[in-house]
Amino acid sequence: MLLDFARRLPPLPERLAAHKDASHRVEECQSPVYLFVEFIGDQIALYADAPIEAPTVRGFVALLLEGLNGATLEDVLKVPNDLVERCGLTEILGMLRVRGLGGVLRRVKSEATRAAMARSEPPAGGAPA
Amino acid sequence: MAEAYAHPEVIVSADWVVAHLNDPKVRIVESDEDILLYDLAHIPGAVRIDWQGDLQDQLVRDYINPEKFAALCSRSGITPDTTVVFYGDKSNWWACYAFWAFKLFGHADCRVLNGGRKLWLDQGRPTSTEVPKYPATQYSVKGGDVARIRIFRDGVLAHSNSGLPLLDVRSPKEFTGEKLHMEDYPQEGALRGGHIPGAKNVPWSRAVNEDGTFKSVAELKSIFETEIGLKPSDNVVAYCRIGERSSLTWFVLTYLLGYPQVRNYDGSWTEWGNLVGAPIAKGA
Repeated sequence: MLLDFARRLPPLPERLAAHKDASHRVEECQSPVYLFVEFIGDQIALYADAPIEAPTVRGFVALLLEGLNGATLEDVLKVPNDLVERCGLTEILGMLRVRGLGGVLRRVKSEATRAAMARSEPPAGGAPA
Repeated sequence: MAEAYAHPEVIVSADWVVAHLNDPKVRIVESDEDILLYDLAHIPGAVRIDWQGDLQDQLVRDYINPEKFAALCSRSGITPDTTVVFYGDKSNWWACYAFWAFKLFGHADCRVLNGGRKLWLDQGRPTSTEVPKYPATQYSVKGGDVARIRIFRDGVLAHSNSGLPLLDVRSPKEFTGEKLHMEDYPQEGALRGGHIPGAKNVPWSRAVNEDGTFKSVAELKSIFETEIGLKPSDNVVAYCRIGERSSLTWFVLTYLLGYPQVRNYDGSWTEWGNLVGAPIAKGA
């Protein structure tokens, strides 16, 4: 099933593909996984890239994207942190392989929080003296 | 002509594999870091043997017992006389790890496909998604010379205290102790960063070319002998984080350079970096 998800992960939009740098890399993953979080109104828009040579993490990333795109920040934060274990992936993949997957989820949550905060801050400058 | 590897028969080329795809004496085994790669595409007729799910015991941190190994070989269509050719991702890390594990059980004829999975695909060689079925074989485990190729923590401590050659084949940052990016992963992390005292850092990847093939004897000698100062008669221990990358270095020293006394410390940093009282050195 993860393999089906891995096959249909959409490519990054061109405007983001140019920004595959360290600040968007999910460090917990051994494979180069890049994550971009934006908001359109209240709805989250996730974009990600993961190598075809790492179908497990690519599949998990695709699953998160399909599951969370369009969700609100509140909903994103409600996703259980032990999602990977709940899916039974630890048993299938083994302890050593799932570490990066949990890292992707945590990164989605922290980036989403950050993006939402940035959005709600008043625009810089022009503050009354 | 370039100097031949010490045991050239253990390295096979893609052409050799193509010529033996239907050879009943040969079994091709894919071993990858990413377990789903085999499902995406594999060499026709190849079976999957997973380093974690198949070769490791799921309760005790150790390899499976001989009965389970016999069952694994039986269902994979491997007899004690079968030529087993390993290949995989990551420049054959896991292939070398599986090779090493097969040697723990004393399987005689093990080989590695030079270049591994990536080169095979890059060269447009045939692949399949079909999972082959082979008739079950009778496999009796011969038992390997474990003490010659594997070492445990007490042995490593004595080795380090005696100042014998130790190779740390992790990345330079893991070696110096700078890297410990495991905050949320207590099951994975080590409580201390650094290396075993006396170890020299030779990242595993230096033994392979960009395309995943092994470097030549001359290149390997210049790294391990000229630069690191090893001699073929040395008693060498290699380690990494869980013993996978160091199986590749073990393979290179044992079979390509012909060192007779190389052992892999598979407990590696996930054991040593958590071991109460174990001495550790930091820095370059």
